[in-house]
Amino acid sequence: MDLSLRNDDQARQLAIEQGRASGEPPIRAKRVTKEYVGGKVVALDDISLDIKENQVTALIGPSGCGKTTLLRLTAGLEYPTRGGVMVFGQPILGPGPERGMVFQAYTSFPWLSAIKNVEHGMGIQGIPSAERRERAEHFLKLVHLDDFANAYPVELSGGMKQRVAIARTLAQDPQLLLLDEPFGALDAQVTWEMEEMVIEIIERESKTVILVTHDIQEAVYLADRIIFFTRQPGKIKADLAMEFKGGKRFPKKEELLAHPGYVDMEKRLYQMMREEIQGRIS
Amino acid sequence: MAIQEQESAALAQPEAHEPSETNEKAALYKQPRERFLEVRGTVNKYQSIVLGLIGVIAFFGVWEIFHYLTPETQRKFLPSVEQVVGKIYSLFKEKGYIADVGKSVYRIYVSFFAACLLAVPLGVLMGSFVKLRALINPTVGGLRYLPAASFVPLLLVYFGPTDFAKLALLFLGCVFFLIALILDNVLAVPKEFVESAQTMGASRSHIVLKVTFRAAAPQILDSMRNMIAVSWTYLVIAEIVAATDGIGAVMMRAARFLHVDIIMGGILTIGVLGVLTDISFRLASRVLFPYMYARR
Repeated sequence: MDLSLRNDDQARQLAIEQGRASGEPPIRAKRVTKEYVGGKVVALDDISLDIKENQVTALIGPSGCGKTTLLRLTAGLEYPTRGGVMVFGQPILGPGPERGMVFQAYTSFPWLSAIKNVEHGMGIQGIPSAERRERAEHFLKLVHLDDFANAYPVELSGGMKQRVAIARTLAQDPQLLLLDEPFGALDAQVTWEMEEMVIEIIERESKTVILVTHDIQEAVYLADRIIFFTRQPGKIKADLAMEFKGGKRFPKKEELLAHPGYVDMEKRLYQMMREEIQGRIS
Repeated sequence: MAIQEQESAALAQPEAHEPSETNEKAALYKQPRERFLEVRGTVNKYQSIVLGLIGVIAFFGVWEIFHYLTPETQRKFLPSVEQVVGKIYSLFKEKGYIADVGKSVYRIYVSFFAACLLAVPLGVLMGSFVKLRALINPTVGGLRYLPAASFVPLLLVYFGPTDFAKLALLFLGCVFFLIALILDNVLAVPKEFVESAQTMGASRSHIVLKVTFRAAAPQILDSMRNMIAVSWTYLVIAEIVAATDGIGAVMMRAARFLHVDIIMGGILTIGVLGVLTDISFRLASRVLFPYMYARR
């Protein structure tokens, strides 16, 4: 048994870099089907999809629509029943550091201080400790936690724990940021602060982001493109570019709310959601 | 950002309201006094020490009362607290009891740490790898139901009245439970810890040692604390058979001559040693896992 096998072997990283240079999409899902319980639950039904680079793509839809499943397939934490998912042209055969993920549950390790948590992923990648510390400080500052570098997670609020997790994921320098309902466990005010922080980070770090959320307003605020999923079988109901924003991102959420076209977009998404929910009840 | 906002909010706050007449007087109401049996009641440090002491004193008081209720001719079968404590003192002073206590402590700790040496790695591996769990768990789960005392004749045949036989019995008495408890501790580690380590590119050895084990370590130490208590309960069984030294052997010798005060002295000694073991494990947890306790 080879316990030292690492997922991020050099050859693979090189192939990913080459794929990126030759214009392969960050994520390509090709006829992906994912079934559970021996085919009784069809979470994803023959989905094909390209994610565009340096865009924020939000996956939304009613509960149980397979949006999280698609994200977990992308992360390499699960495998499709049929079809395949590729990262820059390379088939996804497991998790890899080029795809950083932030979970809904708090994943900052309780035995490490905030800054040590941020350093942890870099340690796995073999980055020397002086550079680790420097980068960890940078990313803690980015999530406004520089005053809490030496605090343990037990001493931090839910929002702060989630900010540690985001800083840790950014510090591993992923080419893709996968956010799985990252603010689902936070209250409305903290969620709002976190959303504005994410906008700030995306502006600064220019990352390709896939965001899973059930919050329509959050999706419209953060995303450049929204993909709406139907529930069981999970199919793409709509693929919407957020053109009304004119390529702009709004550091303050209320600026979006006042932007022409916003209300129409939100209304449209609510109507889609209603169709899906009613379809389930009847 | 949040903190700055709070500060500026504090600055921007309007002047406090003028104190009204009612405000100037003493509080308008008194918080209801907490009853002794209060649901969601509170207990402070001072109270818990006092209540704990009252409990201990009450226990010895009841013992003392029963001693004096016993007819005088039968009293030697229920000696008083001071007789037992006095006997322990004279055992230490005249009979070299310290060597017996030392021997028993040695047996407990050596056998228990041998059990941990097997149970901790096995529990962590079983908790990390589902196929290993499927392979081992049915067997270990079954072995838990074998009474440790039933191994005594077997161990006597194998090892004779040696020290090793006693260590082996104490080992068998706790190792299977320990594996099961540690397995539960490892399974209770949130799966997101492992998944997030995987998305950081962690290897299997990193995940098992630096994530799963680290995450479960405080609970594993707690399981060890609970299981070493069980080890102490097996001590007398281990030392009954053909033992010449140890607290259990002293007690068995006393039984032959109906020296109840020595037997009770032995029980009390084991009790005190058990409590000390418990306290030392709790202290170790504070030292090893400071992050479990928020600094205030």
